[in-house]
Amino acid sequence: MIHGFLQLLAFQALGELCSRFVLPFIPGPVLGLVLLLAYLGVRGSVPASIDLVGSGILQHLGLLFIPASVGVIMYLPLLGANALALGLALVLSVAATIAVTALVLKAAARPREDDEHAP
Amino acid sequence: MRPDLPPIHDIWVYLAGSPLFALLLTLGAYAFGLFCYERSRRNPLANPVLLALLVVALGLYLADMPYARYFEGAQFVHFLLGTATVSLAIPIYKGWSSLGGRFGVLLLALAAGGVCSIAVAVGVLSLFQADAALVRAMFAKSVTAPIAMGIAERIGASPTLTAVFAVTTGILGAVLGRYVLNACRVTAWWQRGFALGVAAHGIGTSRAFSVHPAAGTYASLGMGLHGILGATLIPVVLRWVSG
Repeated sequence: MIHGFLQLLAFQALGELCSRFVLPFIPGPVLGLVLLLAYLGVRGSVPASIDLVGSGILQHLGLLFIPASVGVIMYLPLLGANALALGLALVLSVAATIAVTALVLKAAARPREDDEHAP
Repeated sequence: MRPDLPPIHDIWVYLAGSPLFALLLTLGAYAFGLFCYERSRRNPLANPVLLALLVVALGLYLADMPYARYFEGAQFVHFLLGTATVSLAIPIYKGWSSLGGRFGVLLLALAAGGVCSIAVAVGVLSLFQADAALVRAMFAKSVTAPIAMGIAERIGASPTLTAVFAVTTGILGAVLGRYVLNACRVTAWWQRGFALGVAAHGIGTSRAFSVHPAAGTYASLGMGLHGILGATLIPVVLRWVSG
């Protein structure tokens, strides 16, 4: 477990360094992600230690953004004053995104034998 | 005789001054949220993060603790967001193997979906002449929350508002997804999953996994690719547009 955590932190640090000195407009952790992805691709498999820690963290991803999200209590008046606009924007945007993404796939992808379909 | 115990007030002052209170509150609230979520048989409306937010906010109100003090303690949890973002490489890599020759089509659909997400959200808010801070926070909201907050910092938006919009978007996508997909008559599981992952990131992905494994795998891919492309393109395009 320590080994997996160490490797993930190392990729995170590497990403931060790249972000600081090479690609300042991309967040460090995202560059760490890309570097880890490249490493996995070269290696051809996911090391068990990284899988254990990484998948464990991802399973509780929601926990990690609680501290930042709680800050919403400072924005309640602003959100309340724009409640209708925000509600409409969020609902319409997510529905349109799902529809557009799915319809593009449906139109552009050739069907395959092994595709499974919803009833 | 036992030595005199300190009065309860002193214990409280000690706990509130250390990171312990914030950490206990955060983890306790999340455990409570998870419990309710499992109890509701994983109904997306009983989202554990949303429930935890309410509990933490109530806790801070009762303890009369300012948000900045809470965050000082809870930052240890917050820090792991970066590590979690790096870990997203794992599901992307695993999804990659089942891809075959579909990469181009997926990118095309992702680009269309990503642009649509921003255009509709920003369009509606502009129509209502909403506050500029709210509009800015909409740009990254379909990207998975940890990456969305990183993007927010780079485009001068509030990471907090962005995270809250991202969580709300995830919940809405998980709830509305099947109706929208049925209305569009999209039946292939991989297409349904990918659309959910692109539009509703982590929350949509866990929803997709709960209905079909292929949907879940493609949802992770959609979420991961949207994260990488969003982080790369949104700051650049915004800088270009605003000159």
